Amino acid sequence: MNERELLDAVGRLPKSIEPPRDLWPGIEARLGARSRLWYWIPLVAAAALAAVLIGRGHEGWKVTWLAGAGAGTLRVGEWLVTDDSSRALIAVGGIGQVEVRPDTRIRLVRARADDHRLALERGVIYAKVDTVPRLFYVETPAGTAIDLGCEYTLGTDSAGNGLLHVVRGIVEFQTGALSAKVPMGTILTIRADEGPGIPYVEDASPALRRALAALDVPAALRAARAEDALSLWHLLQRVAASGRGAVYDRLAVLVPPPPGVTRAAALAGDTASLDAYWKVIHRLHFRRVILSRP
Amino acid sequence: MTDDLVRRAQAGDQAAFRELYRQHAGRVYALCLRLTGDRVAAEERTQDAFVRAWHNLKSFRGESAFGSWLYRLAVNVTLMERRSSGRREQRVAVVADPEMLERRDRGGEAPVVLGIDLERAIAELPEGAREVFVLFDIEGYGHAEIARMTGIAEGTSKAQLFRARRLLREKLDR
Repeated sequence: MNERELLDAVGRLPKSIEPPRDLWPGIEARLGARSRLWYWIPLVAAAALAAVLIGRGHEGWKVTWLAGAGAGTLRVGEWLVTDDSSRALIAVGGIGQVEVRPDTRIRLVRARADDHRLALERGVIYAKVDTVPRLFYVETPAGTAIDLGCEYTLGTDSAGNGLLHVVRGIVEFQTGALSAKVPMGTILTIRADEGPGIPYVEDASPALRRALAALDVPAALRAARAEDALSLWHLLQRVAASGRGAVYDRLAVLVPPPPGVTRAAALAGDTASLDAYWKVIHRLHFRRVILSRP
Repeated sequence: MTDDLVRRAQAGDQAAFRELYRQHAGRVYALCLRLTGDRVAAEERTQDAFVRAWHNLKSFRGESAFGSWLYRLAVNVTLMERRSSGRREQRVAVVADPEMLERRDRGGEAPVVLGIDLERAIAELPEGAREVFVLFDIEGYGHAEIARMTGIAEGTSKAQLFRARRLLREKLDR
């Protein structure tokens, strides 16, 4: 290709490319904050710490900057932004805390006693919450992480592609009607266009991870061990009806179903049967993880 | 029509500003995407540019077209962010997905395929070369203006453009 051909090709490039998502809501949220823009720069210059808090409400959670001096309050509607060298700690009311890792943008959505809610636009957080289930929520572009009493790391890009790694307890990740239960010692891949994938244990084989990501049932069944039963339990509810029988049969070999759970009911998606089966699988998984930890 | 929208937006009418966003979002996003080589960063810079435009609307006096003013502002926002963050990481991986480039068919397969390859090749250019190439060859700025905007010498801008074109030809010939 000579220079003329290159410049001809450049001339054919479109001047306009539509953004992959509507950016207006994010813009609109920042328009009204003109006179209330805060630049909150802690004292340790070397840390290059920067935060922008936009839009102020009345309720708030205490924020401590881990990279140096400084503290304040994150109010409902405000954004907390970390740069690539800063971190912050948000006290989640009286029920826990969230460490905001570098390059993260997060907003306090609700700070009520019955609904503690953050919106993670992008970046990574480490949440540690000790309370009854369903009081702490983290919204992401691809769905919502619902705390069921736990400790976890959640990361996402601004499109919604992300990862949830639960260290303790259990988290439910929900996108519309689609949800995944993610207990301690498991990882969930989140996709912008599909929501939660199928969770897998930390030591799941690469073959199983690939198969789950591709919803390749035969490959997943070949790679699954007893320790991977929770993945098959999710897979059972994701595959088409024609593929469920094979998944159930493999799952039943790895972890026998409890009394009262029939193949027909499980294949039909009977909630009570699937919940009863989950309790058995979860209990075995919990014991395995607890015993394997130092 | 645009003049009326601008006047209304200057008076604080967010609905009018939203319409301006609808009219110019694609152009601003394309500019930010090519300057950063990264979809996520491009979305952020696009939002930053419109927020900055809203706050600076009073300073727009109609001496140029609103679009020209806005695109220049988007360039400044993107370059300032790059300088202030000091980030130099390679961003090519995100752009490797051709779907994100949202190519438009212009009547033949070959130009579209070439367009995808070219977009990817631009995204893979070293940062300095990419900025100068996008600003000069795609956006039509002169070297003197690019030098002012990017903080480099005019000669450096010319050298970066030469380098960018050579690298692009090499990539597209592979």
